Amino acid sequence: MAGRLPEGEVDASTFDPMEEPVRPRLLAVRQPLSPRANLLVGFLAFAVPLALWCALSYLPFVWHPLVLVQDPGDTSVAGTYAYLAEGQLVEREVFAARNVELGRAGKKLARGERSNPVYFQPPHAVARALYTAFTTPPEGIGDVWFHQSLLQSCKVIFWGFFWSAVFGLPIGIACGTFSFFSRLFEPFVDFIRYMPAPVFGALAVSIFGLAEEPKVAIIFIGTFFQMVLVVANTTRTVDLSLLQAAQTLGAKNRQLVVHVVIPGILPALYRDVRILIGWAWTYLVVAELIGEKTGLSAFIYQQQRYRHFDNVYAAIVIIGLVGLGIDQLLGFLGRYLFPWESGNLRLVRLARGVKKALPGGMRAAKAVST
Amino acid sequence: MTDDRLELPSYLDHTPEVRERIETLKARPVVMSVEGLTREFDAGGVRTTALSRVSFEVRKREFISVIGPSGCGKSTLIRILAGLDYPTSGVVRLDGLAVQGPGADRGMVFQAYTLFPWLTVKKNVMFGLKMKGIAPASAERQALDWLEVVGLQDAADKYPGQLSGGMKQRVAIARALANQPRILLMDEPFGALDAQTRCSMQAHLLKIWDAVDVTVLFITHDLEEAVYLSDRIVVLGANPGRIVEIIDVPVARPRGPDQFLSGHFLATKQRLEELIHGPQMFEARGRTRAA
Repeated sequence: MAGRLPEGEVDASTFDPMEEPVRPRLLAVRQPLSPRANLLVGFLAFAVPLALWCALSYLPFVWHPLVLVQDPGDTSVAGTYAYLAEGQLVEREVFAARNVELGRAGKKLARGERSNPVYFQPPHAVARALYTAFTTPPEGIGDVWFHQSLLQSCKVIFWGFFWSAVFGLPIGIACGTFSFFSRLFEPFVDFIRYMPAPVFGALAVSIFGLAEEPKVAIIFIGTFFQMVLVVANTTRTVDLSLLQAAQTLGAKNRQLVVHVVIPGILPALYRDVRILIGWAWTYLVVAELIGEKTGLSAFIYQQQRYRHFDNVYAAIVIIGLVGLGIDQLLGFLGRYLFPWESGNLRLVRLARGVKKALPGGMRAAKAVST
Repeated sequence: MTDDRLELPSYLDHTPEVRERIETLKARPVVMSVEGLTREFDAGGVRTTALSRVSFEVRKREFISVIGPSGCGKSTLIRILAGLDYPTSGVVRLDGLAVQGPGADRGMVFQAYTLFPWLTVKKNVMFGLKMKGIAPASAERQALDWLEVVGLQDAADKYPGQLSGGMKQRVAIARALANQPRILLMDEPFGALDAQTRCSMQAHLLKIWDAVDVTVLFITHDLEEAVYLSDRIVVLGANPGRIVEIIDVPVARPRGPDQFLSGHFLATKQRLEELIHGPQMFEARGRTRAA
């Protein structure tokens, strides 16, 4: 073939596009990244902010707007800035002005090193606080250990979210399935959802007292109304043709809900719950600061008053880590829970294995339960 | 000028064998009767008539097709028969009783497979039985039997997502048959399949229909498919959707792909073409020849 072509013409058949490996582009619309790029970019997502934080903390010429006075110089020289003392943090302009004053008087100059504000803590201090927060005994009377604060917060989140799921999921599913319930609930829910949850704080305290209940109520208010609307919309995504197919197979209203609507939206519902738990965490701080301050928010509030900003950051990081941990755990479980979506049949095989291992056992257990 | 068109018999000419079969069919009891069905839609003040006074009867164990150009209301018709839509006037009777809403006595196979993706193949087939409250062990046994009928017993524990289009549609047929419906309604069931799969599915469906005591009403827009499968073909015209002719298919049974070129097959197909595309098509070709 190639030999018969006149000179200067390229034979298309000899051009092999596979000769040069095609590298996936970094910015290709809706295409997955290569495994290497995936890992690298994911790493950068955390590494870049951390590097920035390190730069601001450890490189004096990047920011460091203050000066930590190590030696105030000759304190006998009078002047506008004569208040400089050892260990004081002053603005760089103030420090420079004082040295001008001292220089004019011909006395010993002040010495100091550039420094960040006390609220800006370097990574190593926060890392240390992540550990020491757990080992430091409570300071004041009535204060609690850090791990107790964490537990309190988790309990508030759990119960707030639990109750909003208990009411929100069924009502949302009912709204998404039957126009009757949609019309009955959704306009009102839509109305309430625009009221920020914190405005109910005072009310919640009057009704439920100062302890944990009003905080649970705020988390409930913050997530319940959103949940109804989100779940209703998810429910409406059920393929109508599946419902029709089920009807031609003899399914009636209740059976349609139990056997088609709910299993049909289960994976999407699971994703919704994952997102809504995030909402619960955003309401946590507001909830914990009403009535008697408790949990991580109380800890943060107190440490801020003691000016232990390393502990403040540690607590914030802990909130982030717990939230991320729960989300990742749910994401991980999700990959096994819905084999028809993920194609991951490990859990199904396990269940079948168990069923086979106890052939009489399963039926006996079912007979007992019914 | 040579005319290379085949000399075809009339589609109304029946061999004695075919005539006898048509006579026995006519003697059978009526399963479903469609009486004066009219369906009007009101879209933004504009009233359109999708179906106008459609009447026909389906007899026991009959394979009847409904064919017509797009917009003739064949989908509306089958949805009304299934109880998923309601007629503006007229009535559908199943064994003499007026149909009200969907029910297990009329099984349906949709063009979009509509298998429940979260259930395994076996559990999909068990669905109708479960709705009836049949004990799980018995339902499972029946489901496996029906899967054997459609030749998918080995796929029982797979999820629909793991199956090809043709396999999905076989599961959908098994699922509908498991309820032992009085009539099986099929809404362009092979429309989404590729040509080869469609061919084998047609043969498969004839085999199932032969083996199982079931009446089939089949919607299609494929002329050959209609002739190949059916005892009778209801031809609908568009605007408004109405019956233009009901054809007794003059092709002998059992059917096979070798009949595609038989005179009676081609004559029926030509008649369908005339009815659906109109005689203008043939005239137009005549004119270009003359010119």
